[in-house]
Amino acid sequence: MTVGELTPVSALMTDVPPRQVRRLSAEWVALHTVAISVGLLFLLPFVFISLTSLMSDEQTLTRDLWPRTWEWHNLLDVWKTPGFLTWWRNTLVYAVAGTVLTLVSSFPVAYALARFRFRGRNLAMGVVIATMMLPPQVVIVPMYLVWAKQLHLTGTLWPLIIPLAFGDAFSIFLLRQFLLTIPGEYIDAAKVDGCGDFRAMLYVVVPMAKPAIAAVALFQFFYCWNDYFGPQIYASENPGAWTLSYGLESFKSAHHTDWNLTMAATLMIMAPVIIVFFFAQRAFIEGVTLTGVKG
Amino acid sequence: MAADTYRRRERVRTLLFLSPWLLGTGLFFLYPLASTVYFSFMKYDGFSAPTYDGLDNWVYVFRDYAFFWPALRNTLWLVLVMVTLRVIFGLSLGLLVTKVKTGAGLLRTVLYIPFLAPPVAATMAFAFLLNPGTGPVNSILGKLGLPEPGWFNDPTWSKPALTLLALWGVGDVMVIFMAALLDVSKEQYEAASLDGAGAWSRFRFITLPNIRPIVVFSVVTGVIQTMQYYTQPIVAGKVASGVIGGSGQQFEPGYPEKSTLTLPQLVYNLGFQRFDTGSACVIALVLFAISMAFTALIMRRNAGLVGEP
Amino acid sequence: MARRHRMHSTLAVAVAAATALAGCTGGGGGSAKDDPTADVNITFWHGWSAESEVAAIQQNVDAFEKEHPNIHVKIVGNITDDKINQALRAGGSNAPDVVSSFTTDNVGQFCRSNVFADLAPFLEKSGIDAESTFPKPLLEYTQFEGDRCTLPLLSDAYGLYYNKDAFAEVGITEPPKTLSEFEADAVKLTKAKGDSFERLGFMPNFHGYESTASHYVSQWGPTYFDAEGKSTIATDPAFKAMFDWQKAFVEKMGGYAKLEKYRSTFGDEFGPKNPFMTGQVAMAMDGEWRAGMLDDAGVKFDYGVAPFPVPDDQADTYGKGYLSGTIIGIANTSSKQNAAWELVKYLTTDTAAVVSFANVIHNIPSTNAALESPDLKTDDAVKTFIGIAQHPDSNTTPASPNGGAYQLTVQDVGYAYESGKLKDLQKGLDAAAKQIDTDIAQAK
Repeated sequence: MTVGELTPVSALMTDVPPRQVRRLSAEWVALHTVAISVGLLFLLPFVFISLTSLMSDEQTLTRDLWPRTWEWHNLLDVWKTPGFLTWWRNTLVYAVAGTVLTLVSSFPVAYALARFRFRGRNLAMGVVIATMMLPPQVVIVPMYLVWAKQLHLTGTLWPLIIPLAFGDAFSIFLLRQFLLTIPGEYIDAAKVDGCGDFRAMLYVVVPMAKPAIAAVALFQFFYCWNDYFGPQIYASENPGAWTLSYGLESFKSAHHTDWNLTMAATLMIMAPVIIVFFFAQRAFIEGVTLTGVKG
Repeated sequence: MAADTYRRRERVRTLLFLSPWLLGTGLFFLYPLASTVYFSFMKYDGFSAPTYDGLDNWVYVFRDYAFFWPALRNTLWLVLVMVTLRVIFGLSLGLLVTKVKTGAGLLRTVLYIPFLAPPVAATMAFAFLLNPGTGPVNSILGKLGLPEPGWFNDPTWSKPALTLLALWGVGDVMVIFMAALLDVSKEQYEAASLDGAGAWSRFRFITLPNIRPIVVFSVVTGVIQTMQYYTQPIVAGKVASGVIGGSGQQFEPGYPEKSTLTLPQLVYNLGFQRFDTGSACVIALVLFAISMAFTALIMRRNAGLVGEP
Repeated sequence: MARRHRMHSTLAVAVAAATALAGCTGGGGGSAKDDPTADVNITFWHGWSAESEVAAIQQNVDAFEKEHPNIHVKIVGNITDDKINQALRAGGSNAPDVVSSFTTDNVGQFCRSNVFADLAPFLEKSGIDAESTFPKPLLEYTQFEGDRCTLPLLSDAYGLYYNKDAFAEVGITEPPKTLSEFEADAVKLTKAKGDSFERLGFMPNFHGYESTASHYVSQWGPTYFDAEGKSTIATDPAFKAMFDWQKAFVEKMGGYAKLEKYRSTFGDEFGPKNPFMTGQVAMAMDGEWRAGMLDDAGVKFDYGVAPFPVPDDQADTYGKGYLSGTIIGIANTSSKQNAAWELVKYLTTDTAAVVSFANVIHNIPSTNAALESPDLKTDDAVKTFIGIAQHPDSNTTPASPNGGAYQLTVQDVGYAYESGKLKDLQKGLDAAAKQIDTDIAQAK
C-alpha cells in the first residue's frame, strides 16, 4: 500500500466548531459561494460521466453535453461485456481475501511493535516505514521471475494475495499507532486473570480495536480494488484472472468500446467504492488515530 | 535463572508475534532487493541463462537509454508542479472546509470522495472529459471562445492534464490539513484578533507556523508518491494514443512524445516489454535510492513515527 | 544479544535463499518427445479480436480437430505481444503451446532468445520444403539469421482505400498514382466545417492508425540496416524524403494541431466507427482485411482499392506496397511440441485450410498452392492486394534482435517532426540511428 492512503479519515468526522451568530456578511456570502463552486466543480466530472454513459453510440463522438436519448440500457450492457462478470468476481476475491489475510497477519505484528519492549524495535518500525514507502516497481522484476519460473503461478492472482498473508506495512503502521493509545491497565488486568499474551490480545484488545480494524480493512480493501500494476504484471497473460482495473483498461485499449459504454463501466467500478465508503463512514467516527503526523 | 527464562520466553513470544512479518520482509523485500542488485550486473532476457555483464547495464541506462532522462525530467516537473499545487490546493480546501459552518459535512465528503475513485477509472474518465475533440471541457471552452488545449494528446498539456486529475483527488491532503488546522488553539486566534490582526496576518503568523510540520510532511510524502506514479500516466497514454498494440504496432511509452514517462513505467518497459532484466533492475535501484532518501528525511523529522510519540 | 542473533539468522536465511533461487533461472523445459497420436490438450494463442476473425479461426481449428480427433485445442484470442512474451518466459500450465502474432519484427527476438522452437527439424520430419511452399518475401520475415522459428500464417498487404462516392462528388475518376496526384486529391476531397472538418481527404498524421512512418516509407523502397546490422535511416535518402513529404502534406491538409483535434474524434480502428467507414475520411491507408470489414459492416458507400501512391520520381514502381503478415510458432517451453506441430502444419500448409481462412478474414493466402487455388475468392479488392503482394518492389520491415524497438525510435522522429518540435530533421535522424544501434547492441 502506498503512502497515498495516509489519510486520517477520522478528521472528516471531527466536530465542527460551534456556530456563531449568522451574519449575512460579505465574508459569509463569499465563503459559501466559493464552497458551493468548489463542491460543484468536484462533482462535475461525475455528472459528465453519468450523462455520457447514457448517450447513444452515435452521440458519444459528438461534442454534445446533454444526451438526446436516454439509453439506460447502457448501464446493463456493460454487465454483458464479455469478461465483466469475471473481472468483478476476481476483484472481489482479491479484495476480500487480501483484506482478511492482511488483518489476521498484521494485527499481531502491530501489537508486538506497540506493546512489547525488545531490542531492535525501533529498527523494526523503521523497516516497516521503509517498506511502506517503497514503490512496488523496485522489487517487481525478481519477484516476477520467482513467481513465473519457480512457482508457475503467473496468470493467477495468487502472487498478489499470498504476500498479504505476511502482513502489510501500512496496515501494521496504522494499527500500531492505534494500539499505542490503549492503556496498559486493560491488558494487565487480563494477564492477572491468567491470560497469556496471545489470548489477551485476542479477547481484550481486538474488541477494543474495532474502529481501527475497520479502518484498516477498508483501506486494504480499496487498495486491492484499485490495484492496476499488480494485476498487469501477474494476471495479464490469462484473461480469466483479470481484475476490473486491468480489464477496463485492456478492453478500452483493444477494441469495440465506445466512450458511452466505457463511461458506464467507469461508473460501475467507481460506485461500489463510493457506496462502501458511505456506509463505512460510521466505522471511522470513533477515530483512527492520526498517523503520527504531528510527530 | 528465573529472570533468564522469563526473558527467553518473552523473546520467543515476540518472535512468534512478529513471525509473519519477519518472513514476509525477508521473502518479499530483502530477497528481491538483493536479487535486484544482483541482476543489475547481469545480462538476462528471462529465458536463456544469465551472464555476467559488469557495469554495461548501468552505462546503458544512464547514457544510452532514450527514456531515462525524460522520465527523470518528468519526475522533477511533477515534483515541482504537481506536489506543490496539491499541497497548496489541499491546504486551501482544508481552510475552506474548516471555515464553512453550514453543510460542512457534505462539503467534506464531496471533496474527499474523488480521492477514493479507482485510478484506472478516474484516469479514463478524465481522458474522456479532456478529449480534445469530443470532450465536455473543450466543448465548453470552445463555446466560450477560449483556446482548446490538446490535453492528453499534446506533450505540453499532458502533464498539466495529469495534474488536474491529481487535484481532483486531493482529498487525502485536504483531510490531513483539516485535522491540523483544527488543532490550532482558538486562544491564539482570539488573542491576535484582540491585538487587531487581520485575517491574512492571522494566517501568516499563527496558522502557518503551527501547521508547518504538516506542510513539510505533505511535501515529502508527495515526493514519495511521485516516485510511485505509475497507473495514471500509463493509462492516460494508452487511452489517448488509441494504439492497440496488437495489430503489429508497439505500445508507445510516454505518449505523447515521452511527456508522460515516469521511472516506474521504465521498469515495466525494460523488464516486461524489452526483456532487458538487468537494465530494469538498474532503474529499480535508482527508484529505491530516491524513495529511501526521502523516507529517511521523513523519519528524521518525525521521530514520533518510529518511536513512541 | 540473542535478539540480534535471530535478526541475523533471518537475514542469513534470506540471503541463502536468494543465492539458491538465483541459480535456478534457466529457461527451456520444453521437449518434442510427445506422441502426436496420443490424446492431448494444447493451447493456441492468437491476436485476432474482431468477431468475424475470431469466428473464422475457430472454424479453422474445428476442422483441424475433426482431422485429428485426439488433439484438443483451447483457443485464446486478443493476445498482444507483451502477454505473449511474458507467457513464453513464464512457462507453466497457463503458457501456450502454439502462438501467433501480428508483429513480424518480433521474429528476431523470438528466434534469437529461443522462446520459439526451431521449426527446421519439424519441416524435415514432415517432408515440407519451405522454399517451394511459401512465397519468398514471407520466408524472409519469418526467420532471423538463418534460424527458422516461425512460419507465415496468411499475409497482409497495405494499399489505398478510397470512397468512390466521394470521388465522384468532387470529380475524381481514377485513384491517384503519384504522391502529387494524391495530395491534390486529398485537398479536393476535404470539406471544412467550422474550424474542423466534415470530411477529411486523408489523415496524414503518424498516429492515424495505419498511416505510420514504416508504412509510408516503404513506398520509397528503404533500407533500414546495412550489412553489419547498423541503422541506415540517417544515410538512406528515403527516410528524409518521406518525413519531408509528410510534413508538407500535413501543412497542406490543415496543420498538425487541427488534424490532431480531428483525429481525437475518430472511433476505434477495428470497431464500427472506423473513420473511413463513417465517412470521416475519404481515403485511408489500410490492410487487405479492411475490405472484409467494410463488406461485413455493409457500408452504404461504394469503395475502391488501389496500391498506395508512389513518389513522383519512382512512378514506374507503382503497384508496390508494405507487406506484413501473421506469424505462427511453437513455444519452446511446451512439452507437447509434436502435437503443436500438427496444428501449425495444418494451419500454414493445408491448402483448403489456408484458402478458407483467407476467404473469411479477407487476408492474403500465404502458400503458393493457395494463391493458385480455384477456391480462393477473388474479388477486385483481393486481386489488387495479391498484385501488391507479388510486386517485386514491395517490401517489409526487417527483423531485429530487439523486436520492434527500432520502429518506435523511427516513429518518434516522425512524431517530433510532424508536430514541429524537431526542427532539424537530419539531426533527428542521426540521433535516432545512433539510438537504434545502441539499443540493438544492448539487446545482443
